[in-house]
Amino acid sequence: MSQLIPRRKFLKGVGTLMALPLLEAMLPLSALASSMKVRTTRMAFMFVPNGISMPQWTPSAEGMGFELPEVLSPLSVVKGQFSVLTGLAQHNAFDLGDGPGDHARSAAAWLTGVHPRKTAGADIKNGISADQVAAQKLGHLTPFPSIELGCERGAEAGNCDSGYSCAYSSNISWRSETTPVAKEINPRLVFERLFGNGDHSDAVESRIMRSRYNKSVLDFVMEDASQLKSQIGTRDQRKLDEYFTAVREIEERLAKFDRVNATVGLAGVRVPSGVPQDYADHIRLMGDMMILAFQADLTRVATFMFANEGSNRSYPMVGVPEGHHDMSHHGTDPVKLRKKEQIDQFHVTQLAYILEKMASIKEPDGSLLDNSMVVYGGGIGDGDRHNHDDLPILLAGRGSGTIKTGSHNIYAKNTPLNNLYLSLLDRMGVPTETLGDSTGKLQHLF
Amino acid sequence: MLESKYFVLGFAGAFLTAAAISPSAFHSHLAQKTATASKPSFASSVTPVIKVYCITCHSGAKPPAGIDLSAYVNGTNFAANNAMWERISRNVSTGHMPPDGMPQPTKAQRAAMVTWLETTLSGNCKLKDPGRVTMRRLNRQEYNNTIRDLVGLDLHLADDFPSDDVGYGFDNIGDVLSISPLLMEKYLKAAEVVADRAIVVPEAKPMHFEADSMKLTAGVSVSDQNQVFFFSNGQASIERYFTLAGDYKLRALACGQQAGPEPAKMAFIVDDQVVQTVEVKALEKHPEEYEISVPLEAGKHRIALAYTNDYYKPGPPVEDRNLIVRNLEIIKPPLKLSALPESHKNIIFITPVSDNWRPAAKQILTRFAYRAFRRPPTPSEVDRLMQIADYVHKDGQPFERSIQLGVQAILSSPHFLFRVEADNQSQSLDSYELASRLSYFLWGSMPDNELFALADSGQIQKPEILKAQVRRMLKDPRSNSLADNFAEEWLNLRKLALINPDPAQFPDFDEKMRAAMMTETKMFFNGVVQNDRSVIDFIDAKYSYINGQLAKHYGIDGVAGDEFRKVSLVGTPRAGLLTQGSVLTLTSNPTRTSPVKRGKWVLEEILNAPLPPPPPNVGVLPDDGKQVAAATLRQKMEVHRKNPMCATCHKKMDPLGFSLENFDATGRWRAKDGDDPIDSSGVLPDGTKFKGAPELCSILIKKKADFVAGLSEKLLTYAIGRGVESYDKCSVDDIAQTCESNGYHFSALVNAIVMSDPFRKKRVTGGKVK
Repeated sequence: MSQLIPRRKFLKGVGTLMALPLLEAMLPLSALASSMKVRTTRMAFMFVPNGISMPQWTPSAEGMGFELPEVLSPLSVVKGQFSVLTGLAQHNAFDLGDGPGDHARSAAAWLTGVHPRKTAGADIKNGISADQVAAQKLGHLTPFPSIELGCERGAEAGNCDSGYSCAYSSNISWRSETTPVAKEINPRLVFERLFGNGDHSDAVESRIMRSRYNKSVLDFVMEDASQLKSQIGTRDQRKLDEYFTAVREIEERLAKFDRVNATVGLAGVRVPSGVPQDYADHIRLMGDMMILAFQADLTRVATFMFANEGSNRSYPMVGVPEGHHDMSHHGTDPVKLRKKEQIDQFHVTQLAYILEKMASIKEPDGSLLDNSMVVYGGGIGDGDRHNHDDLPILLAGRGSGTIKTGSHNIYAKNTPLNNLYLSLLDRMGVPTETLGDSTGKLQHLF
Repeated sequence: MLESKYFVLGFAGAFLTAAAISPSAFHSHLAQKTATASKPSFASSVTPVIKVYCITCHSGAKPPAGIDLSAYVNGTNFAANNAMWERISRNVSTGHMPPDGMPQPTKAQRAAMVTWLETTLSGNCKLKDPGRVTMRRLNRQEYNNTIRDLVGLDLHLADDFPSDDVGYGFDNIGDVLSISPLLMEKYLKAAEVVADRAIVVPEAKPMHFEADSMKLTAGVSVSDQNQVFFFSNGQASIERYFTLAGDYKLRALACGQQAGPEPAKMAFIVDDQVVQTVEVKALEKHPEEYEISVPLEAGKHRIALAYTNDYYKPGPPVEDRNLIVRNLEIIKPPLKLSALPESHKNIIFITPVSDNWRPAAKQILTRFAYRAFRRPPTPSEVDRLMQIADYVHKDGQPFERSIQLGVQAILSSPHFLFRVEADNQSQSLDSYELASRLSYFLWGSMPDNELFALADSGQIQKPEILKAQVRRMLKDPRSNSLADNFAEEWLNLRKLALINPDPAQFPDFDEKMRAAMMTETKMFFNGVVQNDRSVIDFIDAKYSYINGQLAKHYGIDGVAGDEFRKVSLVGTPRAGLLTQGSVLTLTSNPTRTSPVKRGKWVLEEILNAPLPPPPPNVGVLPDDGKQVAAATLRQKMEVHRKNPMCATCHKKMDPLGFSLENFDATGRWRAKDGDDPIDSSGVLPDGTKFKGAPELCSILIKKKADFVAGLSEKLLTYAIGRGVESYDKCSVDDIAQTCESNGYHFSALVNAIVMSDPFRKKRVTGGKVK
């Protein structure tokens, strides 16, 4: 711990809502930030389901300095710090002969650009997602390769959409073509995962002993798993491999935690006590957790599903007691269209909170938002038509000075959304030749 | 479920080509001539139909539903593609294919084709392949139940685990349940928590909390020297789980910045109750210890120190009284055998004699591993557990700490987290595997001592013993897990938690009512299970279990209070599951009923006849102002059903749903929708006219064979933790048959499943069983 201020002291006062003095001096002390001396770029993907009211989302003018359309109007404070990218498509979310299931496909393909296999059973198959490409390359630099956040549990009953497994509609992050990365929906649990449970009453020596014992438990179970491997059939092997991978990743993380003493100024941070009743609070608190993780350099890659694809949540707080999915099938009914806009604007209001907060956090070179690339949007254009071209996509943050913001870019129809991801991966320092259905890099970002 | 449940019919494709029907389709009489008296064959029963009625759409580069029949038109080459032919057979048999508006085969042609396909397909199951379930990890409910039964503590740790993956409609499917690093992390943490709480480690050292590590309210902050400074009335607290019940001492090191007429006062608070308030007379920089004594039950407690007499007088001279706390110590009660929790005594069932601790540790860990792994541990496993115990012992730690870490390792092992069934040359499950299958099927938990004993002796393999166990287990309250896990998923009850009826329209619906609806359906299900009623009760029972709130909601007199009780529904329009508030609400939209969703639910859950999902780009009523403005929902839906794209399915769903229109979106009875009277009549595709819920019920009763077949398939899926495949078809038929011929008793259904090959056997390595 030497030059670092011990985390225990740092977290004191956790649980008060009172702002502590901003311990800015701590931030550069974070082992990584100080040793690397270079700007750290972060990447986040935020997803909303059921399409967006495109006429109220798309700016009327092309180029710089566009006027904010209605759905985007909550973003006025951070105007100039994001761009709207029009014309991008996720072709593999279309049915391509597989029939219905646009909701499931659009979430599955959103970050992968791959056509998911139609199945409600065991043989799910998609592709690796853009965030995980980055996580697998950069993961060794931070305690958590990536974090996956959401506000709704994976659906618990039935197949989720027309014969597609629930795995497709409730995950956008895929570690491999068969393994979605489970998301956490309880902000308290995210906090505990990132920072421990705030209970640091144990004496240091007993904590060290505990961690030594926990390590011996890991050794024991790895040996168990190895012996088991020889006694089971191929399908069981696959499950056991998941177990191996998970335990190994935890071992690596524990080793990293020994090395890196994550510190962060907890100024004004609300330590969550659970899942807030209020949906806006829930989204914001999850956003806070993501920001905290970025600030402390616990991870550089995040995904955040505001809701699962096809969600039928109601939005009484903005005058929509009906379900979101029901309203998205507006059939051009003006009342439903209006309600869909209300929902879309509600989501963007929460996005505004997150972006404003990121913009307010100072880092050595500019703000946290300046050093990030935040993609916001979904895999369906119009919720009524279920189209997967002309997607609503917004890119916020300047990617450590590699992205020009404040522009409305219109791309040729059917430009793969994955081209954008390749461009972002470049800026993360993870140059990638192809991903899903990409055809090249996306131009005009700078 | 059978593969056929997931078929996708290429509606769009089928209808788009409807205008371009091949001329040959109009000459169907030609095809009939091919029927001869000789033994039916593929060429005589199937080819003629597909040639004339199917191939028009089902061929080419992009055949609907991916079904290309062009390879089959000219010959007898019935390929071994069971799943596809089963799908075809079902769709032709239900009249789903060919779609309306296309030329239809005659009844005789249809029957000949379906009969031949069914006979041939079921012939395949003479191969008696019992299938192979993939190693299942415990799902959240199973984890909670297993920990409860293993250590005797109902900790509900899995409530914080990520959702379990769902396949084939259930969340206990081996193939689908995965382990992410996030989940593994939670398993490891949970194992540590269980070991910590189940076992008391005697430690003379008090628990010590530096004040600056405690949770502080407003008015309290940390000062320079890691002391906590109460500058106005406020609290510093900790929350801890106390394994041991008894008299604890709470000791705080504190002092005051004294001012005003009295010394600073500090209250010791346990769970929001002031235990004692002390005067802190010590002066700043000279803190003293203040101690009180308090009895605590085992469990979680919040312990707080509070400053209660803040004093401030603006000067000059300023008078300011404040409290300063350095630390809090909690001194445990002396370890008395009687005070040890049951969990501790159950695990540490023998104590070591003098210093020779190893034999006792070995017995303890062997027994715990046996119960946790649900089979006797191997000598090598026990050896490695003893290595862990030795490792702890070498640190000079107490014996109990060694056991604690052994328990933690056992609970983190794949042998605990997965239900492993060995891959060997035996077709029968071994006795321990069978005991676990039984206990997880009926209890969602580990075997109890009786099952373990029967596994030890091998008796469990005997059919009469199995049957006796089923009887015993269904009567045991642990069989509630069938309601919590099976029924919740079968009936889609978990959706009820996500539905939010519009409070403006349905002010009576609140969280209490949501919970009451859930309780009603689960008690009803449990009633059938534990009283061994007929499964047909699910359709037509003239009783339910309700409390005062639901009775009022349903308009039933004479039921008051929060307590649920069995109530007769005779003389009411309600019967069975279908008219329960839960089902009626979860099949509604937030602002109105949805006859479509209700009809779909009846088809899927009761009639075992799921429909394909709607084709893309539909779900939109025609956009001409006049039609959309039509007064009632029914009129709007009639418009919908005139569209041939929609009609095929909606003419099946809508009449079923409309018959329930007298129940509003929260299941309350109504005579009018707005100003319009309710019309609950309908006509089924076969011309049957009916009206209202009671007549719907009579129709469903006539189709109870379909219901029992569907229930058999779903309960089998749940029982074996894998999708039901084509080779299981005979077993499913047998199970349904056995249930029927045994008076439809729930136990008959369960017995039939337990005695079936898919439940008791496994495919041996290298493929099919001879």
